[in-house]
Amino acid sequence: MGLFDYFTSSSPADKRATEVRTGAVAPTRAERDRCWVARDAYFACLDANGIVDALKDEKAAAKACGSVGEEFERDCAAQWVTYFKKWRVQDIQKKARLKELEAQGANKMDIQTDFAERK
Amino acid sequence: MSQPTAAARAAFHAISRATSRQCTRSMSSSTARAAPTKRPTAPSPAKFQTQPYQPLVQRRFKYKTVEEAKSRYRSGPFSWKAGLLFVITGAGLVWYFENEKQRMQRKRVAESSKGVGKPKVGGPFSLIDQNGKTVTDGDLKGRYSLVYFGFTHCPDICPEELDKMARMIDLVEAQRPGGMTPVFVTCDPARDGPKELKDYLAEFHPKFLGLTGTYDQIKAMCKAYRVYFSTPTEVKPGQDYLVDHSIYFYLMDPEGDFVEALGRQHSPDQAAKIILDHMKDWKGVLKSN
Repeated sequence: MGLFDYFTSSSPADKRATEVRTGAVAPTRAERDRCWVARDAYFACLDANGIVDALKDEKAAAKACGSVGEEFERDCAAQWVTYFKKWRVQDIQKKARLKELEAQGANKMDIQTDFAERK
Repeated sequence: MSQPTAAARAAFHAISRATSRQCTRSMSSSTARAAPTKRPTAPSPAKFQTQPYQPLVQRRFKYKTVEEAKSRYRSGPFSWKAGLLFVITGAGLVWYFENEKQRMQRKRVAESSKGVGKPKVGGPFSLIDQNGKTVTDGDLKGRYSLVYFGFTHCPDICPEELDKMARMIDLVEAQRPGGMTPVFVTCDPARDGPKELKDYLAEFHPKFLGLTGTYDQIKAMCKAYRVYFSTPTEVKPGQDYLVDHSIYFYLMDPEGDFVEALGRQHSPDQAAKIILDHMKDWKGVLKSN
């Protein structure tokens, strides 16, 4: 039930993938990593097309990043997809606000709330 | 070589002497230059007779020549030995006070959260671990414990924090084997049973103790640790949801009292250092393995 089973589309792997998507089971480390990779690819596409809120601009997002978006939805639990899309909006707003504050000469605190670097 | 030594010694004598005798010295030293072998017939002899103090007169003879005596006054109380002593003493004191300051600060952090009577964070509990065994607060006593709350369906933060925690565990284990119990408490007892916890935690660190229980037990546990968590209401069976919860590591001492909360701002190395420093300060008995 590893990473490669997904590409062979054998029935137990499909079942497992569906379970992960619906949230019936918690994803394993490999499944999580795959989801994060898909997420990063999708977000990169949104960045390239200047889309901030993929939930609000659903049509534009589907048009510009349809295929990566499908992969994102295939590899992640449905709840996670929504969560990450919302998180993206908040993160962009936060970064903009930080930039604004920095321009005003605010002090920077050493706090990391970003997604950590992955290998 | 002998001159500065003599000068240093003289300086030491001069400093140790009381200021009331200062005038005596200036007077006698003027006579010393005039007639070194003659005892001074100082004015108001009655005052001098009452005091048993005489070394000033003897010290005069330490200088064999006038030049020697003059050089002592030129160099003053400063010499390379005095300077070295000053620097070493200064450095020693700075090191000691810095060390002590840090220790007191850690102590204050640990003490500040120790409530009088009932502990402010933490407390008695009875939950089941990933092997289905009952675990109570008593089982955690005798060791430090690092408590983290999360859930297996967590999208991003918990897995990252658990990886960080695994790194902390390794760092602490390297220096204090068996000195700390890493605890993971689920905030999602409806979905995270012992089996789910076992599969989930095995991917992070073998030392993890995963705790779950009934909804009410977990709610009480979260309340005791002042952990905020919210499970969506009216979840239909089979419906997916996320749990919102606080993301701190709670360091608890071997008596089950809260010591410090470690957050996302700490790197694993920083966090491990904080934990090890607290362990160093602990005066009581510590279990190991």
